[in-house]
Amino acid sequence: MSERAAVLRVKGLSAGYGPMRVLHDLDLVVHAGERLGIVGLNGHGKSTLFYAIAGLTGWQRGSILLNGVEVGRTRSQGPGRYTHEVVRQGLALIPQGDEIFHGLTVEEHLDSGAFTPRAWKERAQRKARVLEIFPPLHKLMRTPVGRLSGGERRMVSIGRGLMAEAALFLVDEPSLGLAPKIGKGVMDALMGVDLGQSAMVIAEQNVSLLEGRVDRIIGMHVGKLKGEAGASMSLHTIREL
Amino acid sequence: MDLGFIITNAIVLSCIYGTLAIGISITWSSVGLINLSYGFIFAFAGYGAWYTAQFLSENGAIVLAAGILSGAFAGIVVCALAFIPIHDKPNFNVRGLIATLAISLIGTQGLMWWFGPRSKNLPDIFGSWSVMLGDMALTADKIGNVVTSIAFVAAVVLWMRSSRRGLEIRAMMMNPHAASIVGIGVRSTGFYVMAITGGMAGLAAVLLSQTYYISPFGGLTPMIKGVSIALCGGLGSVQGAVIAAMILGLNEAITSVTLGGQYVLITQFILIIGILLVRPRGIAGILDRAREA
Repeated sequence: MSERAAVLRVKGLSAGYGPMRVLHDLDLVVHAGERLGIVGLNGHGKSTLFYAIAGLTGWQRGSILLNGVEVGRTRSQGPGRYTHEVVRQGLALIPQGDEIFHGLTVEEHLDSGAFTPRAWKERAQRKARVLEIFPPLHKLMRTPVGRLSGGERRMVSIGRGLMAEAALFLVDEPSLGLAPKIGKGVMDALMGVDLGQSAMVIAEQNVSLLEGRVDRIIGMHVGKLKGEAGASMSLHTIREL
Repeated sequence: MDLGFIITNAIVLSCIYGTLAIGISITWSSVGLINLSYGFIFAFAGYGAWYTAQFLSENGAIVLAAGILSGAFAGIVVCALAFIPIHDKPNFNVRGLIATLAISLIGTQGLMWWFGPRSKNLPDIFGSWSVMLGDMALTADKIGNVVTSIAFVAAVVLWMRSSRRGLEIRAMMMNPHAASIVGIGVRSTGFYVMAITGGMAGLAAVLLSQTYYISPFGGLTPMIKGVSIALCGGLGSVQGAVIAAMILGLNEAITSVTLGGQYVLITQFILIIGILLVRPRGIAGILDRAREA
């Protein structure tokens, strides 16, 4: 693993909102072609880690190298001000709770995921690829996203992330709020994505959905990454992380 | 004759105010700025058109274009002064409101100092022909006002529906947080939005100057009407603003016929309060079939 290039290299990252500190001096390395699972309970900082990488937390400090380019910065305000620059460096964040544009159609929604100039030119091919992964979206292309069901919205949200020309996909709780069967289908789709030189980090509470299917699983506990295990380890071991 | 005259007047005015209202509505919902400097942008654009008519050409199209361009320019200036420095600071809504109000006060005083308090008159940009409809004369400026404002708004809406920048603005209007996640830059979008809505205010200024004069404080009433139409239609909804403009225009016409012109503002605000009591999100709440969040 170590001879592969690092897509993401986080060092000494702390972040939070106002007086609250959620992440504590966190280090993380993600390599090209890797699928990484982060497991942990609610409120232990999984989403905050993703938001900090995207520059969306209230404040943050520490180094974040995305494909060798420093995108982390010490700042005390302005959440989201530099997010578009991070996205341009190759980040695709698929947020928890979908964060959809309720009035746009599915097609426009997918287009909005391809906002970097090159992805925009190739958006027809990219859309075809997303539709291969999520065939049910085919007949919904002209429907406003606000009228879709929860599972369909999740497909749209993940599809929007996959439209991007990204080196790093951050997927936040893809199975949250979905019926187990649909959640499993969404996870299957994520596992089926051909990563190439990019990498994918999936945050999830349900370890059994990740087990045996990702390259590594890291536990997260009160804002710190705790231990690490190959995904083939037994469920019992992982729970002890 | 009276009724027809009043109704055509109401249609003309609601087209003009509707243009302004759509601009206010788009600005508020996309960049989150309650822009109280539209009155200044409006007056500035009027003077820009007047300068052009004085020193460059009295050609209608050129004067109209000058108004739109100077409105867009004023919009960009307001964006640079009142949006860029403070948009990511806490309490941006209130700060933005105060900043734009300050720009409006300083700007209109500046116009007053430069041009003096005397009103200016723009040339007839649509010529001076007229069409008879029954026993009612439709003058060139009325037809021109309605056609131009509808065409301009339609062009803006079409552009927003078909282009990449338009998609950017619409995404910002629906979910600014998600917009930044997909890589839409808030600042550059802010400039686009303010330039376009400034251009709309500029168009409204030139069109209204066919009925009224241009004066430093002439933008205040149109802005109040624009804001009330935008509120009534539901901030962020173009269709809502169009319908609200028609309702308020009709109300103006009916009130001035039945009760008298001095009661227009009273019935207008009763109507707006009534609509907002039943539909707090304005008319757009009825039109919207998509679930939010």
